[in-house]
Amino acid sequence: MKVRGDGYRFVIPALILLSLVTVYPLVYVFYLSLYRRLLIFDISRFVGFENYLFIFRDDRFWNALKNTIYFTVTSVSLELLLGLFIAILLNRTFRFKGMMRAIILIPWAIPTVVSAKMWEWMYNTDFGVLNYLLGMKINWLGSPFWAMNAAIFMDVWKTTPFVTILLMAGLQVIPQEIYRAARVDGAGIFAIFRKITLPLLKPVILVVLLFRTLDAFRVFDAIYVLTGGGPANTTETLSIYAYKVLFQTLQFGYGSALSVVIFLCIGSISIFYIRLLSKGIKQ
Amino acid sequence: MLLFLPFISGCVQERDGEDKKEVVVFKHGKIAGDPEPFRQLLDRFEKENPGIKVKDEILPASTDEQHQFYVINLEGRSSDFDVLSMDVIWVPEFARAGWLKNLSHLLPASEMEEFFPGPIQAVTYNEGIYAIPWYIDAGLLYYRKDLLHKYGFSPPKTWDELIREAQIIAEGEPALYGFVWQGKQYEGLVCNVLEYFWSNGGDVIEDSRVVINSPENIKALRFIRDLVVTYAVTPPMVTTAIEEPTRHIFGSGKAIFMRNWPYAWNIFEREGSPVKGKVGISTLPSFPNKVSASTLGGWQLGVNRYSRNPEAAEKLVKFLTSPDAQKPLALTIGYKPTRKALYKDEDLMREQPFIAGLYDIFMRARPRPVTPYYMMLTQVLQPEFSAAISGIKTPEEALNSAHIQISHIMGIER
Repeated sequence: MKVRGDGYRFVIPALILLSLVTVYPLVYVFYLSLYRRLLIFDISRFVGFENYLFIFRDDRFWNALKNTIYFTVTSVSLELLLGLFIAILLNRTFRFKGMMRAIILIPWAIPTVVSAKMWEWMYNTDFGVLNYLLGMKINWLGSPFWAMNAAIFMDVWKTTPFVTILLMAGLQVIPQEIYRAARVDGAGIFAIFRKITLPLLKPVILVVLLFRTLDAFRVFDAIYVLTGGGPANTTETLSIYAYKVLFQTLQFGYGSALSVVIFLCIGSISIFYIRLLSKGIKQ
Repeated sequence: MLLFLPFISGCVQERDGEDKKEVVVFKHGKIAGDPEPFRQLLDRFEKENPGIKVKDEILPASTDEQHQFYVINLEGRSSDFDVLSMDVIWVPEFARAGWLKNLSHLLPASEMEEFFPGPIQAVTYNEGIYAIPWYIDAGLLYYRKDLLHKYGFSPPKTWDELIREAQIIAEGEPALYGFVWQGKQYEGLVCNVLEYFWSNGGDVIEDSRVVINSPENIKALRFIRDLVVTYAVTPPMVTTAIEEPTRHIFGSGKAIFMRNWPYAWNIFEREGSPVKGKVGISTLPSFPNKVSASTLGGWQLGVNRYSRNPEAAEKLVKFLTSPDAQKPLALTIGYKPTRKALYKDEDLMREQPFIAGLYDIFMRARPRPVTPYYMMLTQVLQPEFSAAISGIKTPEEALNSAHIQISHIMGIER
């Protein structure tokens, strides 16, 4: 009993810190979201769940949600597939293996805003290296069709290294004996991949998916720099929309309601993955 | 408001021990070019006002971040700065929020006449003056003098003339773009589109009535889309362009016409610039029998309502917006004066003939809708204009949708 009490005492500083930096703002944002609050106009009126009801009728919210889901699903699946492929390649023994691993990390090491600026120039219709190589005049960031896909492409370029490194770590803990035994039993590479690599890599894959889905769902800086949400809001994600409502038009009540909705989405995604993970571990 | 406490307590400054001098803190964006002449100006002010010390503090580069800084601090009633420089679109908003001191007494009617009309409109809210125009900016047309001359054209007065000239010249010079401007979904797009609305007799709000879906505006917006699609004088890339990319294209000799702000001129006239000596400027074209208009930009100086030294702050505002300060700022760092008389000043005409030539353009400069709701308005206008230009919506659809949303915003206090 005494030991347990001491344990709590040790946890208290951390608890206080956490509640200050996460619980308090969270509760405050929820409290704000129940108000119609417009700083400029001295309006601060309790409206209950009116802001949340308005979200349902707000076309711009649904558009942003659709964009966010499209971005998340496409970029995360591409990153996972590519990352897995590269991780398996890099996991083989060959010369310059260490160097290759370091090189592949470069895109991940560049700050997002910097790489977004870089890509903005590479996507430039007239001076961009991409159109130069293709010999075409594609309006990458200006056409409703290309803009979001261009942003996804950049995200894949930037984040695949992260996925690769995590998966490589996972691959390295799979004992080589299992592979050897399988080969002795006459299993082909696809069978080995399906029956050994994939199942044993599953916990790592889930962790990767958890991190990447959460990151992609909250995407802000890359797209904000690349397109600012345009053209015609075709690249406006939930985070960008919430930012504009909160800090550009100063609608603190509605902006907070949007933030709470984003939080709920991210919360459910986390719970979903964590459930899957703990199931995997129990097995 | 507890949320803002950490920000505020983080910036409390030591103000004692300055030999009992009053300290005026002046917040402004980065001074373009060499900061030395500006510091000299402030030194002069300190010499003339021995009891006052000026501390100038530079804000982040992006205008959005500057706005955010002011909002957070003023909402928290911060008195850490006394004089603030503001983009032309913020003044009514800040005035409505009660963050700015009424400065009407600094600008009696007789002196008001000395300023360009646009900036005065922009700093007026409920018949009070809440900031003094510091320097001015406006959209204008850059053209290639050499090419127009070669084909026997004069600078276009109407949009149709611009199209005709661009098409004919482009036939002879197929590598060139006709007309570039700023079409990315951002504040600059609103500046561009309003110039077409106004030059067709349209507007966004008239006598507090929303008139954005007028036939004039629909025609103007369709025309902008047609510049890209039907007449093909504007390359589709403008839908991603802000000022700098268009300046690069025009500056490397790849376009015949460009809409931009005055800042581009000095870059074109630099040694080694491919278009040095080949560029002309004029007011923007208009639709037939209508009047040309430019979107007004530029910065204004106001006094923080929570300032502890309002009188000293007012003195600084008065000094910096006086002809005596505007002239050296124009001569040394190219800030365009807001006072009309300076455009006939001999030194300025000799040293900065380009600035002196901007008089007509600044006389036609119109402020974007002068309303405390402007930041909300522009969040509606940007995506709707972008949708019309990229062809996602027809001009009617976009403007009708904007009409509904803006009407809603204008009724927000009712």
